[in-house]
Parts: sequence; structure tokens; C-alpha cells
Amino acid sequence: MTQTDTSDVLIDCQSVWKVFGDRSREAIGAITQRGLGKQEVLREFGCVVGVSDASIQVRRGEIFCIMGLSGSGKSTLIRLLNRLIEPSLGQVKVKGRDVAAMDAATLRETRARHIGMVFQSVALLPQRTVLENAAFGLEVQGVSRDERNRAASAALDKVGLSDWKARYPSELSGGMQQRVGLARALTSDPEIILMDEPFSALDPLIRRQLQDEFRQLTKDLGKSAVFITHDLDEAIRIGDRIAIMKDGVIIQTGTAEEIVMNPADQYVADFVAGISRLHLIKAHSVMISAGQWQGAVDGLPRCSPEADIDALIGQITETGSDAIAVEEDGKLVGIVTIRNLLLGVRGDADASAH
Amino acid sequence: MENFVTAFDTTIDNALFWLTDHAAFIFDGARAVLEGLYDGVLWLSMLPPFYLAAVLVGLLAWRVLNLWAGIATAVALIACAAMGLWPETMETLALVIAASIIALAISLPLGVLAGLMPRLDRALVPVLDLIQTMPPYIYLLPAIALLGFGPATALVATVIVAMPPAIRLTSLGIRQTPNEFIELGHASGVTPAQMFWKIRLPFAMPSIMAGVNQSLMMAFGMVVIAGIVGSGGLGETIYGAIRTLDIATSINASIAIVVLTMVLDRVTQSLARTK
Repeated sequence: MTQTDTSDVLIDCQSVWKVFGDRSREAIGAITQRGLGKQEVLREFGCVVGVSDASIQVRRGEIFCIMGLSGSGKSTLIRLLNRLIEPSLGQVKVKGRDVAAMDAATLRETRARHIGMVFQSVALLPQRTVLENAAFGLEVQGVSRDERNRAASAALDKVGLSDWKARYPSELSGGMQQRVGLARALTSDPEIILMDEPFSALDPLIRRQLQDEFRQLTKDLGKSAVFITHDLDEAIRIGDRIAIMKDGVIIQTGTAEEIVMNPADQYVADFVAGISRLHLIKAHSVMISAGQWQGAVDGLPRCSPEADIDALIGQITETGSDAIAVEEDGKLVGIVTIRNLLLGVRGDADASAH
Repeated sequence: MENFVTAFDTTIDNALFWLTDHAAFIFDGARAVLEGLYDGVLWLSMLPPFYLAAVLVGLLAWRVLNLWAGIATAVALIACAAMGLWPETMETLALVIAASIIALAISLPLGVLAGLMPRLDRALVPVLDLIQTMPPYIYLLPAIALLGFGPATALVATVIVAMPPAIRLTSLGIRQTPNEFIELGHASGVTPAQMFWKIRLPFAMPSIMAGVNQSLMMAFGMVVIAGIVGSGGLGETIYGAIRTLDIATSINASIAIVVLTMVLDRVTQSLARTK
């Protein structure tokens, strides 16, 4: 792992635990002193460990996905980030400030200005119009009606709901309602957006469309996002980096490519087995060094280290060449052979024989 | 055992006598306030002549319900006047309104508090159960001992009977805010006051309005029973008719009660729905 500049880390979550139950305090004591695991805690104290020793860092401008099946603790983890749930142990820092140490007013201010949230259930207030719903965050902050309606209106324009501002949520389809949910989170212009399985209840087509729009919008506006999902395809489509959770533990964190190429354990390997490698794996992961290549380099087609396997296969089939030279800044950095490509398609970690 | 019971009863009697002797000024004051409220509402409802009142209420029923409800309301009210029962009908209406104002002024805030504080709710439930299981005219007895014969006594008994449904349904409505909206509020950074006014209350409104309607209906039932203590109005007319076996008058008064009840019930119910 490369060392990241700490000022670029917006959310820093260090060894966070959440234990649910009447005897959670005792359970935490036993975990820190005796190193009890999830099963022992349940047996001895009747407490459920929701999140166990989780550490994540979300950097500025990054979309960070947390992927896990139901009961994996991902919804608990995202609620620890804005203290909708109090951590039992560990520290959550948002923009360098310890969330657990904030008093009520500071916490309200942080939630209102710096962290937007979008829910799976959408939670649009049924008595309010779309515009009033989108303006809710600013209304709560005491912003004047004109000003908050202007901001809400602009946010609704961004999500493509310009014509629906005076309607009520019940008149909108599920996908449109979730767009309002996103607009509501954007209206207060927070740096961080927490997305709690926002698209899970939508049908597949609408879902893909919203995934692409969400990613585009987040990047255009320069926001950072934490995105919860139970769907690895969604995590790969949206996320810059992905954390995989199981039974409250984060078992692997990395880019989609890293996770697919080097799954941390059998659980992750099973998960990524069905994922197509064509667009995930890049030339730099499968190439061999120029020294290992016996043939001539001059006649080979060229590509960048970031070209994906799908593009490389296209080049090979079009040119009829046996290999492709990988160049960065005009310098030769490696060679991708047909054998490398085939191994890459299968997702074999040792495709790049150094 | 018998001695004990006698002693208990004597103590209660003595306590009541002591109260009427030593705390009379409190009860005189309470009586003056209650009767003042009643007289004020009655004065307002007697202000327009019966035909104008019938037309106005008919128009209201037309606005909130439909044309036929409006016409039926106006005709039914004019029928009350035709039976010679207009002043009594208005007295009954004034009693119901005065009692409901007091009952709601107490039960809505109390219901909200109970909705926000589960322990208060748990403490209130058995009290409300007790109030609702006792035969309602029981409440006339202590009231008549302390406040004497007249509308003030009727009001106090009516207020007691009318409060429970509004408290219960208000508390229920406040408690029933869906959890995702509570979460939305917290995540948006609302203050506790904003959580109540902007999130909990709008969701509780239908339940609260149902409680208001139920309280109104309970008040109606009690106001008629309170005829025994000289409340005035249709209740007293029926009570008098029963004593003299004047069946025709008691039926007239019953019709007037039905008319008033139905109009008030339908209008408040549809107001609650459009809210």
C-alpha cells in the first residue's frame, strides 16, 4: 500500500467495533482484554457483533464501495460514519475530527453541512412536494425559502427532474424517487455522500442507468462517496475502491482489479468467480517484462498500461500480431502476449510472470 | 368488616364536606370559569337565527362533503327548530364544544408527551383503562358535590370522559413515526424541536385527528347523560320527558341529538381526511 497524504483522507475509520446487546460494555471489555471472537461473544454475553475491527479510509474525490451480503454489517458500518450508531470501540474521524467526541450541536452541523445520506427506503416526506423534500436539509439549517428553493431546484435539475418539482413523491416511480433522494443529499452541497444500498430496490435497467449517472455526477461535482451494496457488479461499476465485508469483518480492500486478481480468501474468490475480467484487468497486470520477450519489439502494436483486456484482444485480432508492446510516456514498459491475455481472461494471478 | 366500610364511607363524606367548607373559593372559581366558557360558546351559537345557522352549517357540509350532505344538514337543522328544540340543540352543541376545547387542551399535549416518553405512556394506560371501564355517569357524583347543579358539573364529567381517546390516539400517532424518517432527520442534522414539528407531527396527524373525532363523540354521549344534573340542552329535555312519560318529546329530542351527532361526526371526519 502506498502512503496517502493524510489531508486527503476525508473519512478515517480506525479499528471500529460495534457490539449490540444489553451486556455490550462487558463484551467489549472481554474483546479487548481476552481477544474474544464473534462466536464467543455471542455465547458468553448474548451480544451480537455488528462490526468487528473495521478500518477504512475514504479519500477526497473517491467512491468507496462496501460490498457484503445481508447481515455482513455493512449498513451498521455506514451508520457509524455519521454516528447514527455509536461505535462501541475505535475511532471515526471525518475531515480530521473525531465524530464520537462532538457535542450535539457540532454533530448536527457536521451532518447537515458535510455528510449527505441517501437511504434504500428513500424516505421522502409524503406530505411535501419534490422541491420541498429536496430543500429539507437547508430548511433544517434555517436557510431562507428563496435560497433553499434555488439550491434544491438546481440539484433537481442535475438529477433530471426539472419537470417534477411541484409533484408529490407518491406520483413518482421508484427510480425517480431515488433521484429525489440523491438531489436532497446534494442540495446542502456536502463533501461526503453516504449511500445506503440506494438502488437495491430498483429494477435492473433503471438501476444500471442510475449507477452510471451517480458515478458521473459524483465525479463531476468532485464529491466523495461511501456506497453500500450487496451486489459485486454494482460495486465494480461504481467504486474506485471496494471493501468486502463478511460477518462484520472487512476481509479485503482494494480496487476491483486487485480484488479480482488477488482474492484474499476462498469467500472472495467464489464471489469474483462470475465477474467478467474483460474490462477489469489492465495491460500492466498481465504484461511480462520486455527482457522475457524473445521476438522483435519494433513491429508490435502499441498500448498504454491502462488498456483493458477487451481492447488488447481487439488489437490482437485486428493486427494478427502475437504480442502488444506496452508503452508509458513513449517508453517501453512491457509486453503482453496472447498467452498473457488468455491467463488474464481467466483471472489467474500469476499471469504476469516476472 | 362492616364497621370498616362504614368508617371508610364516613371519611369520604367528611372529606367532601371539609372540601366544600374550606376550599369553596376554589370550586366557586372553577365553576365561574367553566360556566363563563359555556356561556360564551352558547352566546356565539345563538347569535345567528336558526335559519341562518342551518344554511351556514349546510354550506360547510357541502364544502367538506358534498351537495346532498349540505342539503340534508340544513333540512335536518331546520327540523330541530321546527320541533321547538332550537335553544336546547344549541345548548347541547355549546356544551360539547366547551367540553371538547378543555378536553383537547389537556389531552393533546399529554398525548404528545406520552408518545415521546414511553414510561409516561405506560403509567397513563391503566388510568385511561379505568376511566373508560367505569360507567360514565359515576363522574357526575363528585362533580355535583363540589360544583353543584348545572352546566359546570356536566362539563367536568364530560371532559373526563372525552379525554382518553384523544390521549391514546395522539400518543400512538407520535410513537408510530417510521424509523427511516427518524434516521433521515438525524442524518440531516435536525434539532429535537425540528424532529417533532417537521417529522413526527406530520406523520401523527391522521391518528391525532381520529382521536379528536372520537373525543367529540364521547363528549356527545356524556353531555346527554349529564342532563340529570341540570346541564340544560337536549339531555335535560329527555330526562324531563322520561320522568313525565312524555314519549313524543323524548323522541323529538332524540332526533335532534342524532342530527347534531351525525353532522359533527361527518364534518370533523372529512376535515381530518383532507388535512
